Amino acid sequence: MTVTSELAELAPPAAPPRRREGFWYPYLLIAPTMLTLTVVSLVPFVYAIFLSFHKAKYGRVTDFIGFDNYVTLFVDGRFWNAMGIALAFMAIAVPIEFMLGLAGALVLNQNIRGRSALVPFLFMPAMMAPIVVGLLWKIMLAGSWGFISYNLLERFGLIGNTSVFASPNLALYALIFVDIWQWTPFMMLAFFAGLQALPLGPYRAAAVDGANGLQIFFRLTLPMLAPLLAVVGLLRLIDAFKVFDTVFILTGGGPGVSTETPSMLAYKMTFEFWNIGEASAFAIIVWVAFFVFCNVFYQIAKKRLNAF
Amino acid sequence: MNSNRTSILWTTVALVYGVLILFPVFWMATMAFKPTDVMFARPTVFLFQPTLEHFAYVIKEGFHWSLLTSFVLCAASTLLVVLIGTPAAYAFARFEMKAKDDLFLFILATRMAPPVCLVIPFYLIFAKIGLLDSFIGLTIAYMTFNLSFYVWVLRSFCRDLPVELEEAAELEGWSKPQIFRRVVFPLLHNGVIATAVLCFIFAWNEFLFAFMLGGKAVQTLPVSIPKLITTQGVRWGEMAVVGMVALLPVFAVVVFLQRHIVRGLTLGAVKG
Repeated sequence: MTVTSELAELAPPAAPPRRREGFWYPYLLIAPTMLTLTVVSLVPFVYAIFLSFHKAKYGRVTDFIGFDNYVTLFVDGRFWNAMGIALAFMAIAVPIEFMLGLAGALVLNQNIRGRSALVPFLFMPAMMAPIVVGLLWKIMLAGSWGFISYNLLERFGLIGNTSVFASPNLALYALIFVDIWQWTPFMMLAFFAGLQALPLGPYRAAAVDGANGLQIFFRLTLPMLAPLLAVVGLLRLIDAFKVFDTVFILTGGGPGVSTETPSMLAYKMTFEFWNIGEASAFAIIVWVAFFVFCNVFYQIAKKRLNAF
Repeated sequence: MNSNRTSILWTTVALVYGVLILFPVFWMATMAFKPTDVMFARPTVFLFQPTLEHFAYVIKEGFHWSLLTSFVLCAASTLLVVLIGTPAAYAFARFEMKAKDDLFLFILATRMAPPVCLVIPFYLIFAKIGLLDSFIGLTIAYMTFNLSFYVWVLRSFCRDLPVELEEAAELEGWSKPQIFRRVVFPLLHNGVIATAVLCFIFAWNEFLFAFMLGGKAVQTLPVSIPKLITTQGVRWGEMAVVGMVALLPVFAVVVFLQRHIVRGLTLGAVKG
């Protein structure tokens, strides 16, 4: 607890919001933003609710059918399959990114030469268009001639003359691998930024007390970094659920439904099956779940990290 | 001596990691110049006579128009976001408002919503009001993620500004819009530029909206990449060319804006 308050002291104290006469002024300033966001976000949301309660196929909205679309979804194996795949992303990719990112941040925090020149390049994957990330790995892992698929997988007899993305058993893991490649650097640099901001005082005290490296990490670094770890981890979990672009270009959800993430399924429901009512119901479920996630993220970030 | 040796060890580890991370990017760059006949060679060919045939094809197919479309679209939507969002970010950082937390959470929620959830209603609404396959429609759609992002992150920059200057200006008898224009905005311009550039990159990288709402009329760079997977085969070299062009602004951003990227990607929660 005391450690948390020390972290809080470190951040510059927020300027106290000012009470002044011009009561309407702030509302005037936020009005354009709120109006725009209402139009581009709240209106589609409400329209999606409307659609989810109607029979809507091929762009034609007909009868009001209550919760039928939701019920159809819940008994559909494909819906649960998509949820399972999202869960696999969240349960496999994110923890690996988290551990690798933390380890990488600790390494970066050592006395490294030319660090300021190296760090921006480590960030590349996180800023790249997901569609380009997909393309990179399509090239690296392409069928018989891809750099990795030929030189590593095939030569050492791991996988035969096929693309990993065409294998029902491996495609999902290949996508998870790509996700790890793309997002570990982000975790690493976020944690590194956190490490750099930690106060030196407790470390000096620990050195005087003769604490060893492991003790310092588990008793000092980890607790002080905890709120940051939570916020960044949560942000990644939210994003991992949404993964679409890389899946779209690498597997298209296949083979079969073995890599069909929720976003991919919603896309197919809308633009391939044109089952708009059901797709809207799906969107609403995801939306509501996300709102809960956001709230948790916001509370942790605000209260524990003293951010925002 | 000892610390010198560990420093070299960790530097080596970091460098090896960096090379591993960036090797696929380098490999794609070589693909852009690789003649088609050595591209599929087994074993892999490392040395080859570079060719510009893929660049020629890409230009023949009019992909430079995609580049222009991407650029104009991203610039327009970013500019709009800066104009609309800057006052809001300032207001959220400085003033007391009713239900401020709830309003702010609403902004966060619009940022976090999965794009695929939005694209369904957008598609139907746009089809009705004739904004499908249009430049304006896509600019509006991009506001969903960029305006909310911009307000969130710029607010964290606003809170770093010393409030005393504004108070001093107020004592001088300046009006509030004057203070905003002549005190706050000049101090804030670094934050505005950093956040705006990140918005530009997000728009630049965006795929789903552009793919579904832009159609043939407004084809951005990311959308033009899967178009090269044709029924006659996959045009790998050409995809690599477009991929490299799409990466150029990203390169520029990681070099010039590195300090602000962490802050941006964590929505202002971590000050890089």
